[in-house]
Amino acid sequence: MIWIAIRMLTGDRQKFYGLLFGIAFSTLLITQQLTIFVNLIERGASGVYNVSSADVWVMDPVSRTTDVAYAMPSTALDKVRGVKGVEWAVPHLRANASVRTKDGDLEGVAVIGVDDATLIGLPKSMVEGSTDVLSQPDAVIIDDVGTTRMFPGESPIGERLELNDQRAVVRGIADAIPSFTSTVVLYTKYSQALRYVPGTRNRLSFVLVGAADGVEAKSLSDSIEEQTGLKAQTRDEFARDGVQFIIENTGIPLNFGITVLLGFIVGVAIVGLTFSLFIRDNIKQFGALKAIGVTNGKIARMVAAQAAMVGLIGYGLGVLGTVGFIYGFSNNPTFKGFYIPWQIPLISFAAMVLIIALTGWIALRGVMKTEPAAVFR
Amino acid sequence: MALLPKNISFSRQVLPVIALLGLVFAVFFIWNGLPDRELSEPDQEPPRATGELAYENRVAGAGVVEPSSEVIQLGTALSGLVTDLRVQPGDFVEKGEPLFTVDTRAIRSQLAQANSAIGEARAAIAEAQAAQSTASRQLALYRNVDDPAAVSRAEVIRAEGDVSAANGRLQLARARLQAAQATAQTARTEIGRATVRAPIAGQILAVNIRPGEFLSTMGGGGAPFIEMGETRPLHVRIDIDEEQASRVDLGASAIISPRGAANSQVKASFIRAEPLVVPKRSLTNSASERVDVRVLQVIYQLPEGDSRFRVGQQVDAFIPAAKTADSE
Repeated sequence: MIWIAIRMLTGDRQKFYGLLFGIAFSTLLITQQLTIFVNLIERGASGVYNVSSADVWVMDPVSRTTDVAYAMPSTALDKVRGVKGVEWAVPHLRANASVRTKDGDLEGVAVIGVDDATLIGLPKSMVEGSTDVLSQPDAVIIDDVGTTRMFPGESPIGERLELNDQRAVVRGIADAIPSFTSTVVLYTKYSQALRYVPGTRNRLSFVLVGAADGVEAKSLSDSIEEQTGLKAQTRDEFARDGVQFIIENTGIPLNFGITVLLGFIVGVAIVGLTFSLFIRDNIKQFGALKAIGVTNGKIARMVAAQAAMVGLIGYGLGVLGTVGFIYGFSNNPTFKGFYIPWQIPLISFAAMVLIIALTGWIALRGVMKTEPAAVFR
Repeated sequence: MALLPKNISFSRQVLPVIALLGLVFAVFFIWNGLPDRELSEPDQEPPRATGELAYENRVAGAGVVEPSSEVIQLGTALSGLVTDLRVQPGDFVEKGEPLFTVDTRAIRSQLAQANSAIGEARAAIAEAQAAQSTASRQLALYRNVDDPAAVSRAEVIRAEGDVSAANGRLQLARARLQAAQATAQTARTEIGRATVRAPIAGQILAVNIRPGEFLSTMGGGGAPFIEMGETRPLHVRIDIDEEQASRVDLGASAIISPRGAANSQVKASFIRAEPLVVPKRSLTNSASERVDVRVLQVIYQLPEGDSRFRVGQQVDAFIPAAKTADSE
């Protein structure tokens, strides 16, 4: 009986492919746009996620994100080190600077100063060179996306830059997720960064903290806040702050929300119309089936099987399209680090189920009411 | 669909298989593509409190290694060219050992002058003594003559005058001798001042002068001429934020590790806390440094014979917090 339903479905090629296209397209639209949306706003958290070893970030109470930070006096580091449950704490400097390239061009860069001794604060892996190069004089490490912006088509290794009248030599390329604005990032030692960034009295932007074994990051950040009066955020909280900052300060959520809604509407429109047209066209066949004694329940199951098949194939192709899109652009610096969060295919799957169930149910109502005699009219 | 065998339908069989394979591939891709956000341990050891302090209340501070005598920046009493330099950085010297000498030629000529003045004064004394003895004997001769008519009164008066004049000359010559001796003594003292000696026993930490260089008593050159200090044992001077100062358990020993070698920690015993809270010295090399943070400086003594610590090196310290301060 189900087999008949499937044959019935695929019998009309145009409607079948129309249905597939509608479902695949709206799946693609919803999945792909949601993916890009999530990845874009997560760029606000890339600064946090690039530092792989810090459990807690400590900052001035007015600091909001990795890029919107107010510097603290250097003794803040020792205050944090004195808190029970802190295994280690290292200084971390983030500041914007202007760099003069070899050609004399000016480029805005983010200078990140990592702890001199331990290099905590660098991204986890390097594209070229090792992190040890920072021990060489005037050495900086550039991020890979910054390389494509600042040195398109050439190797930056050994290039000389001028930062705050100081010499800087690029000695390595780090594998890092770019920030929301894709600013070129230069990593260097903390003491070196102090020279590269024009002087203000306080320089220490963040203190990165590792929790002692058995100490929860959340309770540690609470006790740091209580004892030092500074603001302490766990890694996840601070990442969320970065995302929240982008949501509050850009139009991205609205724009992508509209696109996702459009995908849903297109899906409902195409799938709904085609599916109900298809059912309507086959109403005679259903009538005949009823005439030979097929119950309404069986017919409902047949329609459900048809819907499931169209939905599954369409959804599969749509997700495949999204995967192909992300895979195809994975080498493009704009899409560096983009990934498909596992929740998004589930969301689009739920949306598909909703679309198909809605349209299938509306179409089925007509079938249910059909009298067996309809076959003779 | 002519490419397919007759009994296989593209839409009924191939397409669902493609869709299913696509889904499997997508699951695989998404699973592998999830970003690596695992927390990782740092490659190199950061400074950390160990042992009992790891889970106790504590105060952290940064500091600098210094000699137990603190650094003595030696100056010179006399200005002049360096003619003799006896020490090198790293030398251990005893108290009073000569370190360097400035040019003494001018003083030595003054000494020679004074010495010749002494000789002259001595000759003048001998001459005055001879004149005095002659005059005394003359006067004695006149006095011994009983007959008043034999010696005129005027003769006697002249002889008496000769004696007192000779006495006066002798006194003058003696005073000249003393003056010349004093001048010589002054010159000798100056020669002594030209040689700078070690004020304490200790180690030479830096020598910033070379023979032939001109040293001024006004300083002005910037770097001190010679820096020395007692490095057996070494001390560390730990800066503690004034807000944290009340929490420190003064008297307890601290855990100290040199910068960059956080896993080689030593226990340092408490010496004293400086009574004066001073502005924090930031080592940012900025010319226009302004600070609003003040620090309490606490001095600890490092164990002797530890070659990992050197004078001037930065260290990280963990000090136990006072029990009462955190019990509230």
